[in-house]
Amino acid sequence: MKMIRAIVRPEAADVVTDGLAEAGFVSLTKIPVFGRGKQKGITVGATHYDELPKTMILIVVEDKSVEEVLKLVQFKAYTGSFGDGKVFVSPVESAFTVRTGTAGL
Amino acid sequence: MKEIIAIIRPRKMGATRVALEELGFPSQTALGVLGRGKQRGLAGEVDVEIPPEVLERGRTGGMKYVPKRLLTLVVHDGDVETVVRAIVKVNQSGQIGDGKIFVSPIDDALRVRTRETGGNALV
Repeated sequence: MKMIRAIVRPEAADVVTDGLAEAGFVSLTKIPVFGRGKQKGITVGATHYDELPKTMILIVVEDKSVEEVLKLVQFKAYTGSFGDGKVFVSPVESAFTVRTGTAGL
Repeated sequence: MKEIIAIIRPRKMGATRVALEELGFPSQTALGVLGRGKQRGLAGEVDVEIPPEVLERGRTGGMKYVPKRLLTLVVHDGDVETVVRAIVKVNQSGQIGDGKIFVSPIDDALRVRTRETGGNALV
């Protein structure tokens, strides 16, 4: 299993989650976060913003589905300008459902 | 070292913390998050009576996301099973929406105050 953490624009989060749901990836967690990238935030007029609000979408999928999810996120969150976000993939060794106590997604 | 990420009901947070403290795992990070599982969010998750005509319309009227608490703790390899079992035991209500637990590997840890690394940086 892999954990996919996608940090996207807050306004794009619903588009991404709806797209994922359509493709069958319904389960996910949404976390409001603040962050910045290579551009060190943004400067609007005289004001500099160090950190920008983003939404982190956390989703755990089987190894074979990773590529499909990445493609979907890239397609749905894309605007072409700085700040579209980043996606990180990390390994997950096991998952448990609390209600039943069984292992697996 | 392993990272245990548990997504549980906010209401069970206190009981979970007490149970983990008793076992000797007092350090953790908690976050308020929104999430949904296989059921695509639930209308029945809130204690509000839903009129039958709304239920007839299907799931489209339900909540899209359900508020949850995300709990992160890093433990030694051998403690994973104990912690997972404790979290499952406290949070199990048998109802849909009890949550999920994920276990993933952690390469290294650093305690900022003493500069200890690896397993020593944990409790």
